[in-house]
Amino acid sequence: MALSNAQRQKLLLVPIYIALTAAGVFTLVPFAWLVCAAFKTNADIFTSNFLPLGDGFLGVAWGQLTLVNFVRLFRELGIGVALTNSVFLSATSALLATFCCSLAGYALAKFRFAGRGLVMSLVLAALVVPGSLLMAPGYKLLYDLGLLNSFAGLVLPGLTPAFGVFLFRQAMVNAVPATLIESARIDGAGEFRIFFTIVLPLVRPMIGAYLMITFLGTWNNFIGPQIVLQDPSSFPLSVAINQLRGLYGTDYGLIMSGTLISIAPVLALFLLLQKEFIAGLTSGAVKG
Amino acid sequence: MSVLPRLRAFFAVTTPAVWVLLALALGAAGLIAGRSRARATGMSHWLFAKGHVPAYAPIFERWNAEQPTPATQVESLLIDGPALERRMLSGFMSGTPVADLVETERSMACRAFTGPLEDVGFVDLTDRLKAEGLMDKINGPSFAPWTSRGRIFGLPHDVHPVMLVYRADLVEAAGIDLSKVETWAEFFATMQPLMADGDGDGRPDRYLLNFWPNNRDLMELLLLQAGGGLFDADEHVAIATERNAFVLANLATWCGGPRRIAVDAPDFTATGNTLRLRGVVVAALMPDWLAGVWKLDMPELAGKLRLMPLPAWEKGGRRTSVVGGTMLGISKTSKNIESSWALVKRLYLDPEVHAAFFLRTTIIPPFKSSWTHPVFSAPDPFFGGQPSGQLYISQAGNVPTRPASPYNLPALLRVNEVLIELADRASRENIADPAVLLPKARERLAEAQSRVEKMINRNVFLHPEAPAR
Repeated sequence: MALSNAQRQKLLLVPIYIALTAAGVFTLVPFAWLVCAAFKTNADIFTSNFLPLGDGFLGVAWGQLTLVNFVRLFRELGIGVALTNSVFLSATSALLATFCCSLAGYALAKFRFAGRGLVMSLVLAALVVPGSLLMAPGYKLLYDLGLLNSFAGLVLPGLTPAFGVFLFRQAMVNAVPATLIESARIDGAGEFRIFFTIVLPLVRPMIGAYLMITFLGTWNNFIGPQIVLQDPSSFPLSVAINQLRGLYGTDYGLIMSGTLISIAPVLALFLLLQKEFIAGLTSGAVKG
Repeated sequence: MSVLPRLRAFFAVTTPAVWVLLALALGAAGLIAGRSRARATGMSHWLFAKGHVPAYAPIFERWNAEQPTPATQVESLLIDGPALERRMLSGFMSGTPVADLVETERSMACRAFTGPLEDVGFVDLTDRLKAEGLMDKINGPSFAPWTSRGRIFGLPHDVHPVMLVYRADLVEAAGIDLSKVETWAEFFATMQPLMADGDGDGRPDRYLLNFWPNNRDLMELLLLQAGGGLFDADEHVAIATERNAFVLANLATWCGGPRRIAVDAPDFTATGNTLRLRGVVVAALMPDWLAGVWKLDMPELAGKLRLMPLPAWEKGGRRTSVVGGTMLGISKTSKNIESSWALVKRLYLDPEVHAAFFLRTTIIPPFKSSWTHPVFSAPDPFFGGQPSGQLYISQAGNVPTRPASPYNLPALLRVNEVLIELADRASRENIADPAVLLPKARERLAEAQSRVEKMINRNVFLHPEAPAR
């Protein structure tokens, strides 16, 4: 029986899907190792790659799996405090940075003012300055401003990163027609009303993407909090988990369970907002 | 317009992500605002080693209870190494806050010695140590990493002598006797039967030593053992020496060519530990701190291991080396230097603390009075009943001295590049004789020396009269 074109095309997709599935599984192997290690004792970490081997169902020693790492994290090591700090820092930084960058990007894209070219050049120049180079002067500045050991010392320096300003400037140039803004002005809308009711909905995918980028960046920020924050009760999750690593020995089960806890909220947020995130990343990728 | 459509229009202005994050931020802010925060008013102590926290906690508790005012009470803060280094250097160089007491590792501490002696941020402890007779009570070579231009800026926490650990179960099963081995050449010759290719895959089933050219710490350890190194006693660059060339040429043939005996089994990694557990690597260079790490990470090896002094490079040569190290220093900005000094001694000179710390980490203290404590002579089941404490202590006085140059890391990197190049050549050209590699080793070490000297000469603070080159 001859196959139709559509059936032939579907058949051709089978090896592609098999290859992609294999690649997907391969990518998930380290994650599977992490999940298994989080439920193992330190002694079992190196004796079996994934689940501890034994006489149980599927040849696994199910009885050797333990929740003790998670219990210790929350009861003894107070990881909940660090989790709260991380959520606060990441969400606040993401919201404020997105708001400020979108305002700056809008101004640079749609307003003509004296020094616009200079500001744009400064933004582009700032893009090539590595962040680590700014740590020492940034620390001194925060000290002079009295912002050391405060969350503001971490949030304020990241309020309008050059990358975000440039990203929103490009998004505004492409997605917001000047005629639309003109029409709104003729209808009597104020500048902030135009920004909130016309401009922001048009760059919605970029907002979703940038929120995720900033949220993840702050969530994973490791050196910054340790330099700025002096009080252990203010440390975010990235620092708290690193502190589980000892100089003379490492409790791998504890670290893996901590890592799992640190991944879970970000993963949940990403799954919740993946449509917006991907739309933002691909916006402008196809030239119309 | 009714409320619902208006609300819907309001929320539709932007992505749901904004509202989700706003809710999270407000919720977390509520929880954070509910916390009470006490402001520190007394002395502060920074440390980077998590393992030291439980050892110090009861001492801090007792100390704080004894203090008549909060001004001399102490609060300890654990900070990751790189962050501690940045904070410490920022404090020393630009006056930002730095703790009264800073516990730091060798590679970080020496960064504070870059400028003129009078600008080092740590208090000079030399005169205090002499006046209180502590120079004789503490293992002499252990002061070296904290000594710059003859002045001591910290009290040593440890000695970190290095022994050789080997899989006694494998060695005994092969009928090998290591009791008469004195040199590296004898060690490799005696252990050669363990490198047989039993499974016929064309490769040895086991390798004799955990070493690889890119492991610069182990390379430095072996250079120091041989009497080589990167700087002389006056902290002048001493890279291009015949001794260093000899050691590097030998190490290259350990890792490449037909006489290869080494394998890469990195510490602190699952892959490295798996190689050790499977017996693919038979012996390893083991500082005292690493013994504690193995006990924690690989309890399965208990009883299968034995310690012995490092084989020497020549008969009668040094049987140990040193790697790593921690000190406690007092910052010059400390509000109460006398109280800080009293606390330093309390933390570092207490035999009971040393004993408890040894039981947890197998690290021996540099304070000689503590060495007679029974825990150091007790049989160690992990090493088949050998008294690991006394074995390490027996080598403490022989550890090589290491000048505390702030340029140690760049110098080490340059020398390590030479070793990597030599090992690569030994592999590619199948070189077994180190003598063949010697001319290249000399040439590349001379280049490395020149590069490091050039870097040091750029430091105008050390040569104020000379223009920067």
